[in-house]
Amino acid sequence: MATTVTKTEPIVGKGVRRKEDPRLITGTATYVDDIEMPGMRYAAILRSPHAAAKILRIETSAAAAHPGVVAVFTGDDTRDVGPVPCAASLPGLRAPEHKVLATDRVYYVGHPVAVVVAADRYVAQDALDLIEVEYEPQPAVADPEKALEPGAPAVHPEWPDNRAFTYQHEGGDAAKAFAEADVVVKQRIVSQRLIPTAMETRGVVAAWDAGMRTLTLHSSTQIPHLMRSLVAAMVGMPENRLRVVTPEVGGGFGSKLNVYAEEALLAWISMRIGKPVKWIESRRENYQATIHGRGHVDYYELAARKDGTILGLKAKIIQDCGAYHQLLTPAIPTLSLLMAPGIYRFRNVSAEIIGVFTNCVPTDAYRGAGRPEATHCIERMVDLLAAELKMDPAEIRLKNFPGPDEFPFETGTGLSYDSGDYAAPLKKAMEIAGYEGLREEQRRARNEGRFLGIGISTYGEICALGPSSALPAGGWESATVRVEPSGKVTVATGTSPHGQGEETSFAQIVADELGVDLDDVEVIHGDTGIVQYGIGTFGSRTLAVGGTAIHYACQDLKTKIKQWGAMLLESDDVRFEGGACVCNKTGKSVPLAEIAAAAYRALKLPPGAEPGLVATRFWEPSNFTFPFGAHIAVTEVDPETGQVEIKRYVAVDDCGRIINPLLVAGQIHGGVAQGLGQALYEEAVYDENGQLVTGELMDYAVPKATMVPHIESSHTETPSPVNPLGVKGVGEAGTIGCSPAVVNSVVDALSPLGVKHIDMPLTPEKLWRLIAKGGQA
Amino acid sequence: MIPQNFDYAAPSTIEEALELLADPEAKALAGGMSLIPLMKLRLAAPGRLVDLRRIAGLREIRQDDGALRIGALVTHSEIESSPLVRSRCPLLAETASHIGDLQVRNAGTIGGSIAHNDPAADYPAALFALEAKVKVAGKGTERTLPLEELVVDAMVTALEPGELITEVIVPVEAASTGTSYQKMRQPASGFAIVGVAARLEKSNGRIGSVRVGVTGLGPSGFRARRVEELLDGTAGSDGEIREAAAVVAEGVEANADLHASADYRRHLAQVFTVRAIRAALARAS
Amino acid sequence: MRITGSARIAAAAPEQIFRLLLDPAVLSKCLPGCEGLERTGEDEYRMRMKAVIGAVSGAFDGTVRLSDQKAPQSFRMAVEGSGRIGFVKGEGLLKLAGQDGGTEIAYDGEVQVGGMIASVGQRLLDATARMIIRRFFTRLSEEAGQ
Ligand SMILES: Cc1cc2nc3c(=O)[nH]c(=O)nc-3n(C[C@H](O)[C@H](O)[C@H](O)COP(=O)(O)OP(=O)(O)OC[C@H]3O[C@@H](n4cnc5c(N)ncnc54)[C@H](O)[C@@H]3O)c2cc1C
Repeated sequence: MATTVTKTEPIVGKGVRRKEDPRLITGTATYVDDIEMPGMRYAAILRSPHAAAKILRIETSAAAAHPGVVAVFTGDDTRDVGPVPCAASLPGLRAPEHKVLATDRVYYVGHPVAVVVAADRYVAQDALDLIEVEYEPQPAVADPEKALEPGAPAVHPEWPDNRAFTYQHEGGDAAKAFAEADVVVKQRIVSQRLIPTAMETRGVVAAWDAGMRTLTLHSSTQIPHLMRSLVAAMVGMPENRLRVVTPEVGGGFGSKLNVYAEEALLAWISMRIGKPVKWIESRRENYQATIHGRGHVDYYELAARKDGTILGLKAKIIQDCGAYHQLLTPAIPTLSLLMAPGIYRFRNVSAEIIGVFTNCVPTDAYRGAGRPEATHCIERMVDLLAAELKMDPAEIRLKNFPGPDEFPFETGTGLSYDSGDYAAPLKKAMEIAGYEGLREEQRRARNEGRFLGIGISTYGEICALGPSSALPAGGWESATVRVEPSGKVTVATGTSPHGQGEETSFAQIVADELGVDLDDVEVIHGDTGIVQYGIGTFGSRTLAVGGTAIHYACQDLKTKIKQWGAMLLESDDVRFEGGACVCNKTGKSVPLAEIAAAAYRALKLPPGAEPGLVATRFWEPSNFTFPFGAHIAVTEVDPETGQVEIKRYVAVDDCGRIINPLLVAGQIHGGVAQGLGQALYEEAVYDENGQLVTGELMDYAVPKATMVPHIESSHTETPSPVNPLGVKGVGEAGTIGCSPAVVNSVVDALSPLGVKHIDMPLTPEKLWRLIAKGGQA
Repeated sequence: MIPQNFDYAAPSTIEEALELLADPEAKALAGGMSLIPLMKLRLAAPGRLVDLRRIAGLREIRQDDGALRIGALVTHSEIESSPLVRSRCPLLAETASHIGDLQVRNAGTIGGSIAHNDPAADYPAALFALEAKVKVAGKGTERTLPLEELVVDAMVTALEPGELITEVIVPVEAASTGTSYQKMRQPASGFAIVGVAARLEKSNGRIGSVRVGVTGLGPSGFRARRVEELLDGTAGSDGEIREAAAVVAEGVEANADLHASADYRRHLAQVFTVRAIRAALARAS
Repeated sequence: MRITGSARIAAAAPEQIFRLLLDPAVLSKCLPGCEGLERTGEDEYRMRMKAVIGAVSGAFDGTVRLSDQKAPQSFRMAVEGSGRIGFVKGEGLLKLAGQDGGTEIAYDGEVQVGGMIASVGQRLLDATARMIIRRFFTRLSEEAGQ
């Protein structure tokens, strides 16, 4: 037995490179489409070209007779499958029955109508062209406000008013606040529909094992465990015979936080034909049939005193739900409502959500999910108020933040903000940006007739979802930490990281706790056959909830390790440190590997102990966490063309304690890129007949690397009291903070023309028209 | 996103290629940056692809008789980086550098771009300003025609079925010539919403030999002759440039799409004409 | 998509143009790619069309319907077609007016495009629609000249 103890430096807090990157950047990672199986068949899906139509007839015989075609199925065949689940429940929610294939009607362009199964994907695609569908087109409506007008086409004939739900909230006394206000600003604000555009589209491989009577479903998803429960129910099989495997996932951004028709359809087909079957979504299908995000038209009113003190808020949120509810469709705008007051002190809130059916693909969670819309609105409103009162936008914000000593801070929407120092990131961002100097520069630029703008956004967000009471599934997360007989460590997490880098940050946590090398920790996830039940990766929860479960499992494990160490050291006073048990009396130590070997050999057991070194924890947080931050964008608008140049972008984010700054930077960069996409370029456009006219990447502009400015990123660190790691979450922060900073900046740039508000995306033509008309919309 | 069944041939000579292209079901494949996406969407379904990329003679850039002869299969990035093009016809190299993204530039070819005649392609602006000629080969025929005669309408050229573009001929420019290409990119694809190329000479404080090529505005690229006339012989004052640029969209049926209305395109054409002329003027000596 | 514009046919008076436009044999020659019009009723025809625009090609089956005829000043034309690459549905008013011995034809209509061509063809729809119209009137001019 060695007597020296190696005190290793903590690795938590270090910017270690991602363990997952080598396989990703060398092309050796396995995605769903990389999976090949003997006897595999391929499915292709026929989708509706109409936004609304009756299906009069489907003729599949030519397709079925096509050489190489195994089967053709229509909605008649799959009546017993489904329905596609919606987990969100709101009082009075109207939930149309959502079959996996259309039966008598189609409700949006891209609605699945029939499926061909064939020997290869080429034949399957050829056979699709041989299916004849006779449609009787019906009037369609794609615009949520038009859908609310009397006489609008009914998306679902049984609900002619197109209202999916309404939801109201009163906090404090908004009526009184508005009555007492010196000033009220009002604005209609659109958060346009966006297409999540994960680099990897969806994909499913379903493999029925007739002998074992088990089904393995490979799917590119963020929620393998929930998918297992839900798909098992859809296809009517016992949950314990279904195994969901999530291989590498090339991005989700919320679009894969869902259970889609195709997952159950493929499962059903595989059982039906007794062969493995694969379906890989094309980009066109991805645009038409995978959920979209945002889709808000919001009417806000903000009441304040002359000195800038905000008194209250009225908000009407119109949520374009699309034709159906996907897993969380109606729940997303409730997050907007919760975040409606932003990070300001006022508590008088009167808010209403109207969910509207349209002949479009459903909306659901997309990076930020409800919070970007809320932040965009409140941050625009605060700027409108500042403009009205001729106050500096920074000053008005600083005036309205709750102080650091006011936490936990109860909001007018029923949240309890965990911890915060909201002025800190704003002041830091202003210092980095050189705010005073920028304003000086702006004055000079204006004298030269240039449109230079400075935009601030200060945001908060609800993260680390969340207590079980706040989620339709459980709000907890699970972890198993296992020291193998060799002393190497395996971590099984119920979360499902897909690009965020938790294989690295989780390993960092475990490496520090157990005193092992980062490379000695393997993190596994996403296979319901080998990982205990879990919830998944979304809502910036993976580290804060899943990481905490791991943390606690490590504590349990250390208790066990010390029992074994005490036995081996024949001591009753040991500590665990630097990867070894040390006798506090003699200084003798026994390393973890030896302890593990003894625990599995199990010739002798400590009193009351069991063989092996494993600990499993399921942990539920008591509250959400509330990260926050401040972004400043400096923009210049070309007066001749309307083009926006981002001259500076400063992001100061507080995501609580930082486990790995490199991962945090990556999340902020990616998040800001997507926020910029919304602010400047992206919009899912349906024409008045419900045709999705931004049907592919040649017309839907996601920002490319060359379009993203240098991001001056910095942090403040306010630990969260909600979890022992003190972490808050950072996956969505960049997106939430970005769009209002950019829009505020451009509005500021054009404010000499009297411009007060511009809806996204800020396309050059829109700005040029504003400028040409001297600021009049 | 899967094309229909097709045959594939990769001949090594032009003659073989022309022989194969005599089949009306056959289609030439160059960089594939326009054709392959159409095939994947099944908007095009040729029975056979005749891949031109193995034809050695079509990949060269030569200087000859005061002209640059650029093989039809030369890629955008080869044009962008060719020392010969950069020094003798910088406008073309500059224009090539504005096309799409790196991957598109590495695969797409000048011949393919001209043959496809996308109304928003970048090259036409420069090629019209350079009064480029295009060499076309058919089975047993060969002709050289000015670009203006080749271009017919959006996505339509005067190429007969089975004919191939083999070479693009642009003049060697004197070092004193000033040129510039100015464009607004469509953010999704990189295609030009409007692009304007200008070339001009300056002597004794006067502008001469002005050529202005425009793309993105109308069904095809074109030479803005009225602008050229108004500018020729002026001193190139700001007012003179603006006055000339003001007529650039006259008589053109401007395109409109999701990304830009016809009005906006007409306006941009003026703005970028001014900018291209100014920049060209600044570079001329 | 709203489509408006006008075309001039130099050498023919409105009466002649009106007659030509209502003649299915002429119409089928003028509609680019039209492979024939088959009469199915009073001023109603079934149409087969193979549209070829550059590298793009697509076959459409559809109908042409003429109505509200006010010879020789105006009539309405409704065209519907669908094929694998999508569908097109349009209706418009054509007005004819004599001018210097020729005819000025003003058209104003709404066209609805769906399916593949709507979802991936946005960038080129407008240019293509105009081109088809240009070709139509060029052919009509030729017919009128004969
Ligand atoms: C994402 C993306 C972005 C793009 N952005 C831009 C942009 O910003 N600006 C721009 O100008 N272009 C852009 N393009 C188009 C690109 O430049 C293409 O390379 C070009 O339009 C076609 O060239 P190609 O060599 O790829 O031709 P192909 O796709 O191989 O062929 C196109 C057509 O031309 C025919 N053809 C090809 N070569 C010949 C020949 N020698 N003779 C006769 N016919 C021939 C083919 O039969 C086919 O019909 C973009 C393309 C993509 C995919």
